[in-house]
Amino acid sequence: MSLCIAGAGWITPLGRGIDHVWDRLERGDEASTQSISGKKDTKNYSGFLVPEKMLKDLPSHARLRRASAISRFAAAAGMDAIAQAEAAGLTIDMTRLALIFAASNGGVIYTKRFYQGIVEAGAQSASPLLFPETVFNAPASHLAAILGINGASYTIVGDGAVGILAIKMASDLLEAQSLDFCLVVAAEEADWILCDAYRKWRLLKSQRPIVPFREPPLGTILSEGAGALLLARKGFARVVSIHAGGNFSHQRQAPHILGRILHDLRDPDACMIASANGTFVDLAESEAIRRISPEAVVYSPKPALGESVGASAMWQIIVAAQALKMKRLPPVLHSDHDAGLRFSTNSTPTGPSAIVLSCGLNQQAAGLRLSI
Amino acid sequence: MSGFHALHGISSPARVAVVATGVVSPLGFGLDETLVSIRNATDCVRAVTQFDVTDCRCKTAAQVPDQRLLGHHQEGRKRPRLHRASHMMIAAMKELFERDPEFKPELTVIGTTSGGMSFGEDYYRAVHRHQTLRRSPEWIANYPPQKAVLDAQEEFGISSPCLVIANACASGTNAIGHAFECVRSGKHQRVLTGGYDALSQLVFVGFDSLQAATPEKCRPFDRDRSGMVLGEGAGVLALEDLAAARKRGAKILGEILGYGISTDNHHLTQPDPSGSGPRRAMEDALKTAEINSGDVDYINAHGTATRFNDAAEGKAIAELFDRVPVSSTKSMIGHSLGAAGAIEAVVCLLALQSQVLPPNINFRALDHDLSLNIVANQSRDAKIDVTLSNSFGFGGTNASIVIGKAPA
Repeated sequence: MSLCIAGAGWITPLGRGIDHVWDRLERGDEASTQSISGKKDTKNYSGFLVPEKMLKDLPSHARLRRASAISRFAAAAGMDAIAQAEAAGLTIDMTRLALIFAASNGGVIYTKRFYQGIVEAGAQSASPLLFPETVFNAPASHLAAILGINGASYTIVGDGAVGILAIKMASDLLEAQSLDFCLVVAAEEADWILCDAYRKWRLLKSQRPIVPFREPPLGTILSEGAGALLLARKGFARVVSIHAGGNFSHQRQAPHILGRILHDLRDPDACMIASANGTFVDLAESEAIRRISPEAVVYSPKPALGESVGASAMWQIIVAAQALKMKRLPPVLHSDHDAGLRFSTNSTPTGPSAIVLSCGLNQQAAGLRLSI
Repeated sequence: MSGFHALHGISSPARVAVVATGVVSPLGFGLDETLVSIRNATDCVRAVTQFDVTDCRCKTAAQVPDQRLLGHHQEGRKRPRLHRASHMMIAAMKELFERDPEFKPELTVIGTTSGGMSFGEDYYRAVHRHQTLRRSPEWIANYPPQKAVLDAQEEFGISSPCLVIANACASGTNAIGHAFECVRSGKHQRVLTGGYDALSQLVFVGFDSLQAATPEKCRPFDRDRSGMVLGEGAGVLALEDLAAARKRGAKILGEILGYGISTDNHHLTQPDPSGSGPRRAMEDALKTAEINSGDVDYINAHGTATRFNDAAEGKAIAELFDRVPVSSTKSMIGHSLGAAGAIEAVVCLLALQSQVLPPNINFRALDHDLSLNIVANQSRDAKIDVTLSNSFGFGGTNASIVIGKAPA
């Protein structure tokens, strides 16, 4: 079955809109970090945050009045993807569209605020307004209400690879149900508690840059935003193959699984959009790429955009689709060291296909291949 | 769906067998204990022991006893660090693989709402109190919703890709439904599916804050119902292409016949009072199963015992079905959220195998506005060939599955 990208939406710390973010990536821009503070007497962290002005033209829908940042990111990206497809002449029947929303940490800001109320003031002060927004599928519910989707709507959760699993699910849905479209949206929001947890997990560094593929890894910086793809049977890029991958219980197993994914997706003409983020992921990916596809040109968007966890694979897929469309890759930032890989530099040309490789921080890995 | 198959030149969709199941819930560990509790109409709701509920309106829940849950799985260095949810999933999968050791899933689809939430709570409280965070790495590593599934898969040497569906209270049924579609379309031959959730303070207080939880008994569809109680547990089902299962001589426990999903955009937490969302899900499930409403012998309702859910669901059932026996398992074990649909699917399978209608306990009098045939307070024997199970959730997600007896 043909599975194509018919529209895309992108909201990132570098800006909103496919062309805008792409131009900035091509220019070698890196998003600014902002300080994320917690309570008094706690350590501050750096994060790549989405500027508030990026959301100013969201519709004044009742569902967005109290919605969390993650819901607003998802709404922005989802509506942009629909708008892009419609601008290209596609007529979208919402009764023949399924929605899949993917996230890793979900609505962590409201979840923390809700629980903070319980811990600080007791259960009686818990807010009934906040609680529903803490539920993983709240962003999907809001987006479905805004777009008028009343058929299938799924929220799936996982680590960084969840975006690819969402595409796999979309493929399954389009194959199993009599649907014409699947809107896949992945989003994440950054918060101090996440930064603190990832630091204690020894994955976070305190200041940019994210240096990809460096051994030993120096750490990553969290990011936020959303990516959305409208999948249909026709479009500007085709999902040729999806590898739902597998799970690794120890970091040392990751290169093996990534190698298996790369082997199955292998295409000598494909460029590689990697998930390298300055952690153990980089070493696993570089080992697998050197072993299976040593000639591939490699790009990772994370030094420029940060680690957006649940949204990250979707961002990689958008980069891959855009690279195929523009026939060139942006430069990998902060890659002036020898990692034994062929990094993309300014306007490195691409072939007709791209492989997206995603290794999550919590045991999941997956990949897919796009062509144009 | 039949339209899709015709369009693509596929002669007919695959039939989907259930070849093994496993369950852990307040009703018991495993199918046998669960059936005994169903027959005895056991009320599993007790005072909450997992966390402090002094300030809550509701003070009860149906809990899986820790002593039994954790006692079986403490061997090994890693086990004590796992979340209770992982232990539940491991126990449920253990039963499944004991019943069918040959089942090798190509894909795993599991529903949950809150994963290892209580570890997130531990982490937050420690940060808040500036306590030593010696255990923080294990809290963080074991908190994500996919972790309980991956722990259980690792325990049994499975590395299949894992889709974790978080569609609020419909997650378990959505997971089974999606797994059904994956096998039915011919894309996969064997899919492991189900759902899990463990009680957590955040979720408990959340429902309490909404005044959706009751300080009284859980009385689904009752005139005097006053809300839900929470529960916990895990249920897993092994789905396989029926022809392939027969070929390898697998025991067939039942057949998933149909699945329907709809989204109700009325409100984030309240269903459309017309019952249109649940009705569409049930209609689609019947349509997929290619049966009429008159073919259904038992409905395992979502039946949370909240005013809004039971009114909307009851209306939709009454409109579609003619006096089909209805009960809510939640009257016995509370609402186990992401696990509910999976546990209730197992209850349907037990009903089919044992020809017994599970009871709707704590029932006194039917809501005046509803016209339902409630299986009141006691289980009873009946001829059951086809069951329908409903799950609805926050966000307006509605899911229904049709489960039939093992084909001859």
